[in-house]
Amino acid sequence: MAHRWGMAIDLDRCTGCEACVAACHAENNIPIGNPEQAAIGRTNHWIRVDRYYEGEFPDVKLKYMPVLCQQCDEAPCEPVCPTLATYHNPEGLNVQVYNRCVGTFYCANNCPYTVRYFNWFDPVWPEPMQLQHNPDVAVRMAGVMEKCTFCIQRIKRGKDESAADGQPLADGDIQPACVQSCPAEAMVFGDLNDPESKVSRLAESSRAKRLLEELGTKPKVFYLERGR
Amino acid sequence: MATWLIGEFREKDAVASAIQSLRATGVGDKDMDVFSEEPVEFHKGVLDRPSNMALASVIGAIIFGGGATLLMRAAQYNYAVVTGGMPTFSFWGTGVITYETTMMGAVFSTFGYFLWESGIIRKRDKTAPVPAVPPESICLRIRCAGDAQKQKTILQNAGAKVLP
Amino acid sequence: MSTNAEHPELLPYGKIREDLFRPLSGLSQKYAAAIFIPLLVILFGAYAWTVQLRVGMGVTGLQRPVFWGFYIVDFVFWIGISHAGTLISAILRLTDAGWRKPITRAAEAITLFALMIGGMFPIIHLGRAWRFYWLIPYPNMRLLWPNFRSPLLWDLTAILTYVTGSAIYLYLPLIPDMAQLAEHSVPWRRKLYRALSIGWTGSDTEWHALERAMKLMAGIILAVAISVHTVVAWDFAMAIAPMWHSTIFGPYFVVGAIFSGLAGLMIVMAAIRKFMGLEQYLTRHHFDNLAKLLLLMSILWLYFTLAEHLTVWYGNDPGEMAVFGARTRARFSFLFWLMFAVNFVIPFILLGIRKLRSITTGVIASFGILLGMFLERYIIVVPTLSVTRLPAATSAFYTPSWVELAITAATFAAMIFLYLIFSKLFPIIAVWEFKPHPHEDEA
Repeated sequence: MAHRWGMAIDLDRCTGCEACVAACHAENNIPIGNPEQAAIGRTNHWIRVDRYYEGEFPDVKLKYMPVLCQQCDEAPCEPVCPTLATYHNPEGLNVQVYNRCVGTFYCANNCPYTVRYFNWFDPVWPEPMQLQHNPDVAVRMAGVMEKCTFCIQRIKRGKDESAADGQPLADGDIQPACVQSCPAEAMVFGDLNDPESKVSRLAESSRAKRLLEELGTKPKVFYLERGR
Repeated sequence: MATWLIGEFREKDAVASAIQSLRATGVGDKDMDVFSEEPVEFHKGVLDRPSNMALASVIGAIIFGGGATLLMRAAQYNYAVVTGGMPTFSFWGTGVITYETTMMGAVFSTFGYFLWESGIIRKRDKTAPVPAVPPESICLRIRCAGDAQKQKTILQNAGAKVLP
Repeated sequence: MSTNAEHPELLPYGKIREDLFRPLSGLSQKYAAAIFIPLLVILFGAYAWTVQLRVGMGVTGLQRPVFWGFYIVDFVFWIGISHAGTLISAILRLTDAGWRKPITRAAEAITLFALMIGGMFPIIHLGRAWRFYWLIPYPNMRLLWPNFRSPLLWDLTAILTYVTGSAIYLYLPLIPDMAQLAEHSVPWRRKLYRALSIGWTGSDTEWHALERAMKLMAGIILAVAISVHTVVAWDFAMAIAPMWHSTIFGPYFVVGAIFSGLAGLMIVMAAIRKFMGLEQYLTRHHFDNLAKLLLLMSILWLYFTLAEHLTVWYGNDPGEMAVFGARTRARFSFLFWLMFAVNFVIPFILLGIRKLRSITTGVIASFGILLGMFLERYIIVVPTLSVTRLPAATSAFYTPSWVELAITAATFAAMIFLYLIFSKLFPIIAVWEFKPHPHEDEA
């Protein structure tokens, strides 16, 4: 049976440390910004930690959640791309094809989660950061849209290794960089088509919710939060 | 071989009566041409030019629009990629393109048929003289059939200045 | 004399020809200056675009989440202006309104040039503009096809159809005038006019075919024009972004387009009248009618805007109310109420009160309307993108950079430039259409 990749993020465990953000940067060759560009909103974090403050000091409540591409099954970003640079692959991933993108920005406007990021300039890394590039991931040029891919290069490597070994893929064999780096083990990645996988069981938990579900996008990232 | 007569008129009604008299002597509609610097409207029956332009327009529109829709259908099945859960080919998803290409077909066929029907892209009879129409005049050119002298008289009686 | 002021078609034929063909010869210093300054602005805009192509879209003011800014506003604005010709030429031709006759060619020229300018923006706004041709379905070695389900492909087809149709619709009535000019004194002009007249002899077969074609084209171009701006509107309406995903957008944009097109037309008519000495042909009667149409469109625009905003406010959907608040009370409120003032209040006063209605006030109102419609497009595009559904992603205020402003200015300059060239090459009033045959029973 084909895989269907999904993720569960336990907000009760998340500490907001942003290790996932750093790991994603390192794994996916994301260009490093600068304060001026950040000030006008041009940050590039495929996974970002959104923070919401409720109340007045000293009764402030802080909520934070890591937000990444939800890999929606009925993604609104997909039908509007005129060159089919973004489409749904048979494993349920919303794939972004960099060399097909002409930069119309329509996909980013249609994403309700605002998880698509644009390369405003050719990427720069201050010395010696360019030495730590991941050879499995393309470096994107100016003019191309990008977003979280669920570390598709790791998925591919996992599948290739299991094919080479002859062993079937076990749950937990493939971990995107964010999932791997989380110190609180708040993030779980796996095959939603496998009813025994950890992510499938967490997705059915009573604590599981999805972001902006009412829009009908069918996201595949499940947020677990203590019920009210 | 054919004799051509050109009559210069100042009055539209004179042209109409001349045309009707000339038809009685055997000059056909195809042999008569009215030249002017603005369009001249005769009453129905004087010199009708039937046309199939509207039909050509519709046919061209259907062919172009239908062809484009078939191309889209073939292309979308050929490069079948899932986007947002939509079906591979849906008339509604691409209906706008069907509509626009239908209209584009109508535009092309109208213009093309105009070029053909007006005679602009058809082979012209090089021997037929094209009158230089003086301002505020109407010229009637006929290819004589049978009695050229009689037809010349008709033109003169109608008040035209006849050029050889 | 008063008859001539109201019925210019009663002027002697020779005088009409002389008046309308006179601008085609000679080059005054004023004209040279008038064409040089726009050229400079265009060149600067072109330079700005090369900077953008070399360095990247980062030179604009765009940012996450405001990914569409001035370029898209310009795009919708110019495609909107193009509806001038369609309204005057097609609708008034179909309803046989005689007062349109001296205006049709000028209006159709506006349409064609506005479309050519507006059609540049889908290329200019691209992140990788040099690959724009990937949107065209052509057989290629990679066996790839574009996505016909995308509203941007609908845009491409619609605008291509409209440009082709408008060009043909402008050219058809030009043919007899080209034939009349084929004996012009200047040799290169003689060659040009003779080539463009494609052997027109003025026979009744040709006239009948021409008139039939024009009647058909009027109907076709009207159908296309309505669909084009609807499709441009659907670029927004098909998205699920709050206050974009509205069923009213199709008709709303068409009404707005006709509104802005008419305003552009009034300005161009006033300019032609003044600078080409056509006071006898473009009379107060024409401007009066244009002003009444403009007033009608203003009220219609108000109706649609009200319907859109009232339903959002009453429905109180949180996502939409966030955008509504940004538009009417918060960041964009100044622009919103300015738009209301120049799109409705000022035209209502200047054009609605008969004592105040004149060519000058009409032009003032029209400039206001052009500003107002530009603002309206801005108010539609930017607030929705600025206020995201996930509030944490809501952005800093978008401001256009020098690149966007330069390119925007270049488009206005390009319109003036193209129009000046057009008026020097071709008679701005269609002589044969304007002057009915002196012996017609029906005028």
